Amino acid sequence: MQTRKIPHPGWNLEYLMFLFTRLSGLAFFLLAIIGVMAALLMGARYQMDLGTLMRWTFFPNPNHVLDSDIPDVTFGWDNGFWQIMQFLIIFFGGTHGLNGLRVVLEDYVHRPFWQIVIKLLIFVLWIFMILVAVFVVLGS
Amino acid sequence: MKVTLKIFRYNPETDKKPHYDRFVVEAEATDRILDLLESIKNYQDGTLSYRRSCAHGICGSDAMRINGVNRLACKALVKDVGNKVTVEPILGLPVEKDLIVDMEPFFDHYRSVMPYFVGGEENPKKEQMQSPEDRERFDDTTKCILCAACTTSCPSFWASGEYIGPSAMVNAHRFIFDSRDQAAAERLKILNDQYGVYRCHTIFNCTDACPREIQITKAIGELKKAIVTARLD
Ligand code: SF4
Ligand code: FES
Repeated sequence: MQTRKIPHPGWNLEYLMFLFTRLSGLAFFLLAIIGVMAALLMGARYQMDLGTLMRWTFFPNPNHVLDSDIPDVTFGWDNGFWQIMQFLIIFFGGTHGLNGLRVVLEDYVHRPFWQIVIKLLIFVLWIFMILVAVFVVLGS
Repeated sequence: MKVTLKIFRYNPETDKKPHYDRFVVEAEATDRILDLLESIKNYQDGTLSYRRSCAHGICGSDAMRINGVNRLACKALVKDVGNKVTVEPILGLPVEKDLIVDMEPFFDHYRSVMPYFVGGEENPKKEQMQSPEDRERFDDTTKCILCAACTTSCPSFWASGEYIGPSAMVNAHRFIFDSRDQAAAERLKILNDQYGVYRCHTIFNCTDACPREIQITKAIGELKKAIVTARLD
């Protein structure tokens, strides 16, 4: 069958979150790979144990490498690039997870009133998480 | 051999709540569960109620839960299910009596996806041709017999009867991917909803349950892709 174009079926929250879930899942892999590769290139093999390397991979915060054998954390580890990486990881991971929670809860909560309450709660939790993330990323 | 059947019973006129009845039937390994139900109804308990029509797996009226799995009673053989058989109505639809459920909510979802051919101009001068390849594109989903085994095996449907369910999507797929049909966009708009394709969490129960072996989860995946890309291929 030849490919046929059709008018876009319309944008809505479900559509956007469906796309976001798939893209953020991929982004999470990409960010983790960048984290672990960069750490290894910066000499992590000789300077940190596996646990520290994993903590760096999934949340590249300089606090995670302070106690390792890295001689100068400010060099390479503690800079704006990794701050952006930290924020992206929290944003993609947290939003992906909380949206998943929203979808799952819709399976169990059917009363419209409670659906609104729970969605609101998840939204507040999400904003709170983003604020804490900004605080942690900028404050470390 | 002797087969023991434990059958879900409920008569809303006399019963406060459902119960199970046991029947023992003499059967061959190659008998169908429908044959056993017929034997019980004819010789042991005439009040036993269930739907059946063709008895050949094509009308879709006798989907029921046989040992916990949605199957057509007319396609399930004794040798495949053993000599202790539990028979219950399909889940997620209100029970009317014994193994009979109210199919209306199921058919409402079916009707909501415009399950009919929408052609182009009226009285066209020429025949509307379709190549064998184009016909092949939606062949799998033409096989649906609307038995509801898929939709009533789906946890998302159990969770919310508002979910349109796999069967309605199979029937939407049948027309959306038909190269001659003109209403694909309209149907995809209906499915692009909180209770449309997005309630499908790729659990695959539907694919396992389908007596016609339709690749339902794959078909739903194709609908999701068509919605996201605004293309049919
Ligand atoms: S897709 Fe299969 S299981 Fe679902 S209603 Fe059609 S025939 Fe029955
Ligand atoms: S009786 Fe027709 S499908 Fe089983």
